[in-house]
Amino acid sequence: MAEFTKDTPLRAVQVEALVVMKIIKHSSQNFPTTATGSLVGMEKNGTLEVTSSFPFPTVDAPATDGHHNDSASNLAAAAPRNKANVVYQNEMIKFLREVNVDANNVGWYTSASMGNFINLNMIENQFFFQKEMNERTVALVHDVSRSSQGTLSLRAFRLSPTFMAAYKEGKFTTENLQKSGFRYQDILVELPLTIHNSHLLTSLLHQLPSDAPKEELSFPPNLAALRQDPNTPQPPLFPNLDSLDLSIDPFLEKTCDLLLESIENHHTELNNHQYYQRSLGREQAKITAWQQKRKAENSARAAAKQPLLPEDEWQRLFKLPQEPSRLETLLNSRQVEQYARQVDGFSASVSTKMFAVKSNMLPGE
Amino acid sequence: MAEKDSFLHLARPLGPAPVGAQPSTAPLGVVIQPQAIFSILDHSLRRPADQDRVIGTLLGVRSEDGTEIEIRNCYAVPHTETAEQVEVDMDYQKQMLALHLRANPREVLVGWYATSSELNTFSALIQNFYGQQGDGTFPHPAVHLTVSTVPGQEIESRTYISAPIGVTAERAADSCLFIPVPHELKYGEADKSGLELISSAKDREDRSQGIITDLEALERAVTHVLDMLDRVSKYVGDVLDEEATPSSALGQFLMNALSLAPKVDAADIERDFNNHIQDVLVVSYLANTIRTQIDLSNRLATAALTLGTGDALSGETGGKDGQKGGGGERRGKGRQQRTQEA
Repeated sequence: MAEFTKDTPLRAVQVEALVVMKIIKHSSQNFPTTATGSLVGMEKNGTLEVTSSFPFPTVDAPATDGHHNDSASNLAAAAPRNKANVVYQNEMIKFLREVNVDANNVGWYTSASMGNFINLNMIENQFFFQKEMNERTVALVHDVSRSSQGTLSLRAFRLSPTFMAAYKEGKFTTENLQKSGFRYQDILVELPLTIHNSHLLTSLLHQLPSDAPKEELSFPPNLAALRQDPNTPQPPLFPNLDSLDLSIDPFLEKTCDLLLESIENHHTELNNHQYYQRSLGREQAKITAWQQKRKAENSARAAAKQPLLPEDEWQRLFKLPQEPSRLETLLNSRQVEQYARQVDGFSASVSTKMFAVKSNMLPGE
Repeated sequence: MAEKDSFLHLARPLGPAPVGAQPSTAPLGVVIQPQAIFSILDHSLRRPADQDRVIGTLLGVRSEDGTEIEIRNCYAVPHTETAEQVEVDMDYQKQMLALHLRANPREVLVGWYATSSELNTFSALIQNFYGQQGDGTFPHPAVHLTVSTVPGQEIESRTYISAPIGVTAERAADSCLFIPVPHELKYGEADKSGLELISSAKDREDRSQGIITDLEALERAVTHVLDMLDRVSKYVGDVLDEEATPSSALGQFLMNALSLAPKVDAADIERDFNNHIQDVLVVSYLANTIRTQIDLSNRLATAALTLGTGDALSGETGGKDGQKGGGGERRGKGRQQRTQEA
């Protein structure tokens, strides 16, 4: 079986409702700290079925004020590739196997806020999981802030094979990028994700009252009775009327902040690069000067019939500066793209809502 | 599913138990979060073929006075049951509890669940195990949650706490009195979006649902609201045509709802609307501009080397840089303007 599945790439991810709920619970509990955990399940005909999950142990952060919050977040973000957590994970999976849960690790999940999940941590984690031979792992990203807007935001990602190869070599120099034609759009591959319910769960969902009662009800005698009437249906789970919410300012503000932050990062990276170019230029100028001097000296020595000095000594004398990795820039670019797409989607739905409100308020125009 | 039964608790004589080690039998309310139920149902599906019921441990938080218990999580515990005896893997239970506590120290042991409504001698034994001193929930009562998972029947859940019963100490060890306590299923704000998607799959043949976009969700919500409005306006129309029975309570309710609509000047609306829509569009436009710029910058950075020497490259990126900064400032300005307007 393994021989069969080896070459078929993963095409889709199917997540059990249980896993969705567990991830949501864990992420929203820890918000705004990043929450990470492990996924278990199995792979079938190119579809990765995620059937259970468990959170990684929390790292003790001594206090929860501003600074520590950041460090706790960082620690949590690095958790999936932490040695201690690998042990924890294996132990947990061993126990889960005893109660017939599909006991294969199929990846990890992380929480995010407004799509700010594309960073070095995420890449390293996924690389950690994906570098194994014949692996079948995904990273699930649950966006807590966006989900509070009404629609669940849960996405599945994998690193692209080209990126894996490049990251293994660890060389993200201009030259390499040029040679491989690698672009920032190629870092992550998003897989289509579906949610799957078990039969029992479907049965449970049908039991939950969500729709208006079908049969004729007697009229309430007064207003108070109407409010207390047990037959008054609760707002249904589906469709979620939260998505009709009109508040747009917090969302836009946050996205703008994040975008500005990304630009700042980009700027820093470019400055780094410029600095590198300048120092490279300086060093090269020095080397040329030295070489010319040596050449002049040699011709003088040749004229004086003296033995020539070696001309490749500069390699020992001068050290060329290391080119900074362009990985950070690539990730940052990918992140900006992510934000831009997010804003696109948001403005599409918000302008719809705004026009609806307008025509509601100004009928006949 | 959490039907509203009424409960009456009476003080009663307690069975023989060492003095001073009496577990509390005070009534309490139990709140169950959906992921716990989901997890129990999942476990029930994965039970060994020859077993009728499976059991597991409930984790959750207890309110300070112990009268309110919120079941937040649970995990399965392997056990075997025959006509004569029951065997629970206590070692497994202990280690799993330790693992869960490491991940979430706030969720403590509160009780156990079984996937059948039946209460028998074994239930009493297990209940006493979970409620014991030391590893158990003592001095708080252990909660027992039963979720019936009989195919073809409604899923029924009940919660109990227990009181010791029996004439002698030996008898008390394997018997107990299960006292039903009220419980309800509650979901939080954050769970809403997930539950929406999950329950949207309930009427589908394949029981699965892809992730929907914001726009699709909006469309569905709008359609739903339109349907409800249609229903109400049909009723109102029928009343006006004297085809349906009028109700003053309903009329009053609709009146109240309608009076919530704000009275605002058309010009104000027009102005606010234009301001806001401009903000949104500007942010969207700028975000896309930035995206293009970054893309361009990346392309230039890798393409420049083919055009000339390293100097040309640095000049190129420098030029880009200025542009970028400009872009950033523009963005900043746009944002400040927007916040002022808002």
